[in-house]
Amino acid sequence: MTERIVHVIDDDEGMRASLQFLLETADCTVTTYASAADFLAAADPAPGCIITDVRMPGMNGLELIQALNARGSGLPVVVITGHGDIPMAVEAMKAGATEFLEKPFDDERLMRAVRGALDRSTAEKSDLAPDPERVRLAALLQGLSPREVDVLRGLIAGGSNKSIALDLGISPRTVEIYRANLMLKTGAASLAELVRISMVAGFS
Amino acid sequence: MGYAIALAATAACFAVRLALRPVMHDGTNYLIYFPAVMAGASAAGFGPAMLACVLAIGLNLPEAGWPPDPSHILIGAIFTVLSVASGLIGQGLLRTMRDRSAALIALETQEAHLQSILATIPDAMVVIDESGLMQSFSATAETLFGWTAAEAVGKNVSLLMPASYAHAHDGYLHRYLSTGERRIIGIGRVVVGERKDGSTFPMELSVGEVHTAGKRFFTGFIRDLSDRQETERRLQDLQAEFIHVARLTALGEMASALAHELNQPLSAAANFINGSSRLLAETPPKLDRLKPALEQANDQLLRAGQIIRRLRDFVSKGETERRPENLRQLLEEAGALAMVGAKDIGVRLSYDLPPGLDQVLVDKVQIQQVVLNLMRNGIDAMDGCPKRELKVSARAMGDQTIDIAVSDTGPGVSPTVVDQLFQPFVTTKATGMGVGLSISRTIAEAHGGRIWVDSTPGQGATFHFTLRSVGDAELADLD
Ligand SMILES: Nc1ncnc2c1ncn2[C@@H]1O[C@H](COP(=O)(O)OP(=O)(O)O)[C@@H](O)[C@H]1O
Ligand SMILES: [Mg+2]
Repeated sequence: MTERIVHVIDDDEGMRASLQFLLETADCTVTTYASAADFLAAADPAPGCIITDVRMPGMNGLELIQALNARGSGLPVVVITGHGDIPMAVEAMKAGATEFLEKPFDDERLMRAVRGALDRSTAEKSDLAPDPERVRLAALLQGLSPREVDVLRGLIAGGSNKSIALDLGISPRTVEIYRANLMLKTGAASLAELVRISMVAGFS
Repeated sequence: MGYAIALAATAACFAVRLALRPVMHDGTNYLIYFPAVMAGASAAGFGPAMLACVLAIGLNLPEAGWPPDPSHILIGAIFTVLSVASGLIGQGLLRTMRDRSAALIALETQEAHLQSILATIPDAMVVIDESGLMQSFSATAETLFGWTAAEAVGKNVSLLMPASYAHAHDGYLHRYLSTGERRIIGIGRVVVGERKDGSTFPMELSVGEVHTAGKRFFTGFIRDLSDRQETERRLQDLQAEFIHVARLTALGEMASALAHELNQPLSAAANFINGSSRLLAETPPKLDRLKPALEQANDQLLRAGQIIRRLRDFVSKGETERRPENLRQLLEEAGALAMVGAKDIGVRLSYDLPPGLDQVLVDKVQIQQVVLNLMRNGIDAMDGCPKRELKVSARAMGDQTIDIAVSDTGPGVSPTVVDQLFQPFVTTKATGMGVGLSISRTIAEAHGGRIWVDSTPGQGATFHFTLRSVGDAELADLD
């Protein structure tokens, strides 16, 4: 994976330095930027991938992805969100982020995400074979009942059990049961992971 | 009445005269009637004295024979003159005596009046002389202090205060007498009193000064404040509770931003540590990079700890003590807390704090709560505005007042709420509690300050509040 660079964008100096250190211990080459604007201003970024925080002063992570799309940049983007920032993560995934990580994350998750992003960046857009992971996850979602799909959609929209119950005209208790089923069927350990699986599988 | 006395006295003298006739032959002896004249004069003045005089002459005439010899006439004339004089003197004496007793009665009435007032007002009264010795000790003072008047009078007034104050009191008195410097006289203040059983209590003391007969006395009126302070303390407890709840509410509203703030250093530390264990797992382990990484992990964890400490101080309930605090530091700490999450939405904060600001005597956490409320309001107000600048400034205003201002570049205060802004539960926000500004006003006023807003529609709002500053000289004086 040499010569493919991981571009780290984060306004927090501690996060920036620690990501750089962690990635370098895994033999990645890293450049860091304190803001999205700094990154966009840097001439012609080397091929690789981007890891960016979503919540930043000035241009946020979401706006960065939109700006990159507008430029036709092919750099895959991994997004880091704060705890419980599901709607933001969903927005980022919809805008084209390849993956999102919820803070704090373990290094295995980070490495998997970065590797996935770098692999994708090497593959030519045109001959992008169907991602086996994506196919697997999509198959998982195929097994959901229509009600479970409704609840999943509500969760992805950032709804609480209560508000989803209200929207669907069922009791919060029933929503809780559908939600537990969703976790079981997808093997997700957390809400963030459930949302991530859905996003990667192209659920909408 | 006076005439009856004169008549009776003359009759008595006549009886004596008759009894003495065998031995006294001198028919011109008027001497014997003189007591009757005096009795008449002293009992009722001029008239009765004259009556006794005429009667005596009348009684003496038959004995003198006719025509009376010249010596008899002379003695009779002298007697008449003396009687007139006695009558006049008696009359004058009687009048002054009557005046005196009228004055006495008036005095007694006044005294009784005063006593009844002193018995009914709740204040105890103690009079001391220039050397501090108690001259009078009212009945209320007896119940208040537990000493009887008999025990107290003649003792030094320091009997009524804790030993630590007693010494100072002599000093005050002495200083007042020699320099005229007033610490308490004519002013009144709250001091500590001590009862006979040694228990102490807060009291309000006002002292007046009296000059009589070339001597100076001080009259102290004492009001027991134990109950009043009890009530006030209870009120303060309630208020503290309210302020505490409001603080938690403010933090509740900030909870996700705070979680984000904490997550940052924790995630960074986790990254450094994960990276370090990767280095250790390599063969051979890359030890040279390990040390700086672990140091950085440590720094990040300390940073997380600092955020928690700041929060804990802020949330903790205790501490309603006022202390001299460094204003700059107080404002910067509050600012750090208020800006949690705010820079993510592009709010720029600046401080305008001139060097050499005096210290302020405040409950730090409460004043920080005011600053936090004002800053969060400013941040909320600028949501969605093109320009998002928040400024915290302080100005010394002279007369020991410092004006602290928080200004934003938001839309300004909505005209629908501007009049009730500082009342509780007034809010224009969907999820607002509307208590921030009312709490801020309570706190500012409890500190002897004011709070107000200058707002220009479309330009922004500036909230001001004032605090009293304490100079170094004053602080030195406290010790
Ligand atoms: N800086 C400001 N700019 C404009 N309006 C403000 C500002 N600060 C306060 N207000 C108005 O005053 C109201 C009351 O504020 P506050 O007592 O703090 O309660 P809350 O913030 O919960 O609404 C707010 O809802 C808002 O309408
Ligand atoms: Mg408020």
